[in-house]
Amino acid sequence: MRSLKTAALLAVAALTLTACGSGDGGDAASDGKVKLRFSYWGSDSRQKMTEQAIAAFEKKNPTIDVVGEFSDWQSYYESLATKVAAGDAPDVMTLEIRGLAEYAGRGALTDLAGKVNTADLDQSILPAGQVDGKQYAIPTGVNVFAMLASKSILDKAGQELPDDKTWTWDDYIKLSAKISEAGKGEYYGTEYTSNNPAYLTIFAAQRGEKFYDNGKIGLTPDTLKAWWANFTNLIETKGSPDASKMNEIIAAGQEQSLIATNKGAFGMWWSNQLGAMVKSSGQEDLSLLRLPKTADAQSGGLFLQPAMHWTISSKTEHPAEAQKFVDFLLNDPEAGGILLSDRGLPINSKVLAAIKDKLPPADQKSLAFIDSVKSELTPVIVPPKGGSKMEDIIKRYTEAVTAGQQTPDEAATKFLEEANAAISG
Amino acid sequence: MVDSLSLKKPVVTAPAPQNGSRQAVNRSRRETLAAYTFLAPWFVGLFLITIGPIVASFYLSFTDYSLLEEAKWVGLENYTHLFTENPRFWTSLKVTGIYVLVSVPLQLGFALGLALMLDRGLRGLSFYRSIYYLPSLLGGSVAIAILWRKIFGADGLINGLLALFGIQGTSYVNDPDTALGTLVLLHVWTFGAPMVIFLAGLRQIPSSYYEAAAMDGAGVIQQFKSITLPLLTPIIFFNLVLEVIKSFQSFTQSFIVSNGSGGPNDSTLFYTLYLYTKGFKDYEMGYASAMAWVLVVIIAGLTGVNFLASKYWVFYGDSK
Repeated sequence: MRSLKTAALLAVAALTLTACGSGDGGDAASDGKVKLRFSYWGSDSRQKMTEQAIAAFEKKNPTIDVVGEFSDWQSYYESLATKVAAGDAPDVMTLEIRGLAEYAGRGALTDLAGKVNTADLDQSILPAGQVDGKQYAIPTGVNVFAMLASKSILDKAGQELPDDKTWTWDDYIKLSAKISEAGKGEYYGTEYTSNNPAYLTIFAAQRGEKFYDNGKIGLTPDTLKAWWANFTNLIETKGSPDASKMNEIIAAGQEQSLIATNKGAFGMWWSNQLGAMVKSSGQEDLSLLRLPKTADAQSGGLFLQPAMHWTISSKTEHPAEAQKFVDFLLNDPEAGGILLSDRGLPINSKVLAAIKDKLPPADQKSLAFIDSVKSELTPVIVPPKGGSKMEDIIKRYTEAVTAGQQTPDEAATKFLEEANAAISG
Repeated sequence: MVDSLSLKKPVVTAPAPQNGSRQAVNRSRRETLAAYTFLAPWFVGLFLITIGPIVASFYLSFTDYSLLEEAKWVGLENYTHLFTENPRFWTSLKVTGIYVLVSVPLQLGFALGLALMLDRGLRGLSFYRSIYYLPSLLGGSVAIAILWRKIFGADGLINGLLALFGIQGTSYVNDPDTALGTLVLLHVWTFGAPMVIFLAGLRQIPSSYYEAAAMDGAGVIQQFKSITLPLLTPIIFFNLVLEVIKSFQSFTQSFIVSNGSGGPNDSTLFYTLYLYTKGFKDYEMGYASAMAWVLVVIIAGLTGVNFLASKYWVFYGDSK
């Protein structure tokens, strides 16, 4: 009796032990299909669309079984890095431009040149997926960082929509202050963004400087100080909420922004966020404007930003199938028809032509905006390895300056020191 | 076991005790085996999930490990960089140090005060005890951290109250001058766990001491100073050691309240949060491992100091 019990217990223990080791069933699925793992992040609606696209691909390629590995944005890179570290990288990975050099520079990605058909893609945007001259990634679609303006708030404050071809940062700050004054705490002139490197990139480009220049930070202390002056001027003239309230709004994310909650006339966002902003604010008449310029600007500084990148792991056991899948996502009108502009406006001219009429009004608007600024664009720069730290560094020093804890002079020196160290490693 | 069994048995024939002791040996061996069998799943967990990673992190702390590539041996570089070239390391130590130094005494003070009040034979003691204990269960949770962000936000509860008096407050969690203060408050709020331990300690003090003291004319304050406090020092010490270690390892509060940034401007950059950022966001897992080991040394050192100092103020009833 007793020994029977012991035997039973041992059996249970043995089962527990072996259960720990049976996680990896291997890549070859039992039904003879090739299993392809595909990782991406996003909202629930994106997951639904992506699953639809995967189903369409599997229908065309019955021998391939694509498994979507979906997570939210907050934890995406953490789980992806852990998978790669465990030698368990997904075959097809979605990255964005800041993660590109981190992965490509460490040998985690395959060079896609000649392997995926890029003939119909916008050739001018392909360099955004290149690191050291190799095409490690292909943009899923593009955005422009723009100023969103709410017509209804401007009307309420008795102000006109500014002419975005001529307005300067000064004009913007003064106009914002006037709107805040009219708003009496109910609405503000503008919100600012301290955590998007695009703002600083564009501001620097207007002064003829590149954020990253030959492996170094190409910004001068004067540019940084002038940039921070935009923040402090807005706070002082009350064109924006005060610094701690702005920190709160920024931390709360897009849906709690002044534009989305209909409490501000201006805010800087990516063009593909227009649709979401229209939806949450209930304002159909949000417009996209060029960012203001410095008085003697050499260019508008706007650039086409890849919304995301498709990449293939260098360790994949099924390169041919992975390439086929990426090819489908980029070039197949059926995929384009399902995904629409969710990952930026498609860069495949044929796909774009096929789906143009299907796009919702907000996307039509951002498409028209991108077309209108196309001739003034600056080339996009791929951040080097370590560039993914930049967002945090910019945010931190901006917080220090806006809270008055550091003078702009002091912050500029320390910023350049830390930012240069971040990309030198 | 074997001896006592064979002693009790009357010696009748020679083989009998032999047989008996063999049975006993068999049984004890079987019991040992059963014990290990029951423990087996925990051993697997202990080695795979606890000891394995600890050993691995010690090795990794001497490497440059990005997670994406193989670890490269760099010797002491992580440690020297940490101490000589990284101002944020010192910032995070300062932030954590202030947090521990301020919040632990405040929390223990509150806990002791309330324990004393509850110990005075309040009606419905167990109800109050549960109510006050509740925050300790919830305090480290994500939900409470989110709630905190709301309470101390620009349009939060605090400012709502202040508005009644015509005062316009700011967003306390997003102002570098006040952000850490809100986290200290959150920690103090979780005084329930040490309070329950204090209550148990108070119950251990014989009431005859107080009766004798009262007879000699000692007042409440005198009784507290001469009886309660000295006899409670072992409990205070226990709570102190525990809370210092716990608060040094605080992570969730800062991670959620500051949205993972330790901001604004690093004002809530807890050591563990910085460690996490280094490992998972900056692709510097080797560096993060080194930070973890520095934390181990710091906590061990602090606990050691605590134990040494305890000789001078902790009173165990049996010592001379």
